[in-house]
Amino acid sequence: MSTELKLQARLDGELDAREAREIDALVEQNAQQAALMQELSWTKAAIAAGDVEVALPETREFYWSKIARAIEAEERKAATAAPAERSGWLKFFYPATGLAAMAAVMFVISGSRSNDGVDTESVPEDMNAVSFRSEAEKMSVVYVADEYGSFSPVGQEVKNEPEADK
Amino acid sequence: MAKAIDHKTAPDVKLVAASQAGNMQAFEELVARHRDKIYARAFSMMRNEEEAIDLSQEAWVKAWQRLKQFQGDSSFATWMTRIVINLCLDQLRRQKRTRAESIEQLDEELGGVERQMPIIATNPSQGLERSELRKRIDKAMNQLSYEHRTVLILHEFEEMEYKQIAKVMNCSIGTVMSRLFYARRRLASLLQSLKKEQQS
Repeated sequence: MSTELKLQARLDGELDAREAREIDALVEQNAQQAALMQELSWTKAAIAAGDVEVALPETREFYWSKIARAIEAEERKAATAAPAERSGWLKFFYPATGLAAMAAVMFVISGSRSNDGVDTESVPEDMNAVSFRSEAEKMSVVYVADEYGSFSPVGQEVKNEPEADK
Repeated sequence: MAKAIDHKTAPDVKLVAASQAGNMQAFEELVARHRDKIYARAFSMMRNEEEAIDLSQEAWVKAWQRLKQFQGDSSFATWMTRIVINLCLDQLRRQKRTRAESIEQLDEELGGVERQMPIIATNPSQGLERSELRKRIDKAMNQLSYEHRTVLILHEFEEMEYKQIAKVMNCSIGTVMSRLFYARRRLASLLQSLKKEQQS
């Protein structure tokens, strides 16, 4: 540590007793260091009197209303995030659930295809999935629910028209 | 059942306890009591009214969320001030510094600039009214870089020790000391210039 920084540390009460005595002795002997010490002391004293005194330029009600709104918004955000966090581990099972749902639905479709030409919907029990088959479009779509219960398509099967129909 | 408290007259400790239990009216009273101080600290660091308002509000929201962490080791006002200081420092770090400050930082990095400054032989604040001195200090502080201004604020106004400042500012104690030294010497020089300007 330089002598100048030690002078400052002495002024700020950051030196131990031995170092403080050494600096005091130095200041007594050295006019240059004494002058610097004096300048630092004046500045320190001047700053102490100079903290900013400003009042908030908004009314109590307006200022509080903004804080209250922000707190409510944060709490709402936290409340919606919490269930998702709690069920976070379930996310690992969604791809597997989706695949299982698709396989099951394909099985259902191939095993019990309606031949009457109308669109059919199949909701396998105990499965968070919905399938949709359009005979007219020759297409099946499987929807699997995400953790929020929203359904989205995960796969589709388009069947070629039977050879005989061509 | 919890006893109702008179928010206007209750001490901070009781209002804090009530707020920790979820009483927003008690928290509103705390905001009303300390909002000027918290805003003033944000303003002293940011030197910008709008940013100071936003950051002081953010500090209150953070305080509400972290109230359970407040153990009463310091006063509520001190705890709140630490929150707003940290938010201001984060914001200042994010912001790109202005050219003037870069030059000042460069001066500091080049080393020893403060050692070359002539020592001020007469007290530049002597004989000044308190209000006039405050104005000059404010003007001079405005000309310091945020790192130098912050180190002065934390040391002189928040009465933090070197090691506490180093922790808050995420730098070494040596850096705190050299920044403080530079800031004081520069401030003395600026106050001297302001005094000369006034006299001429």
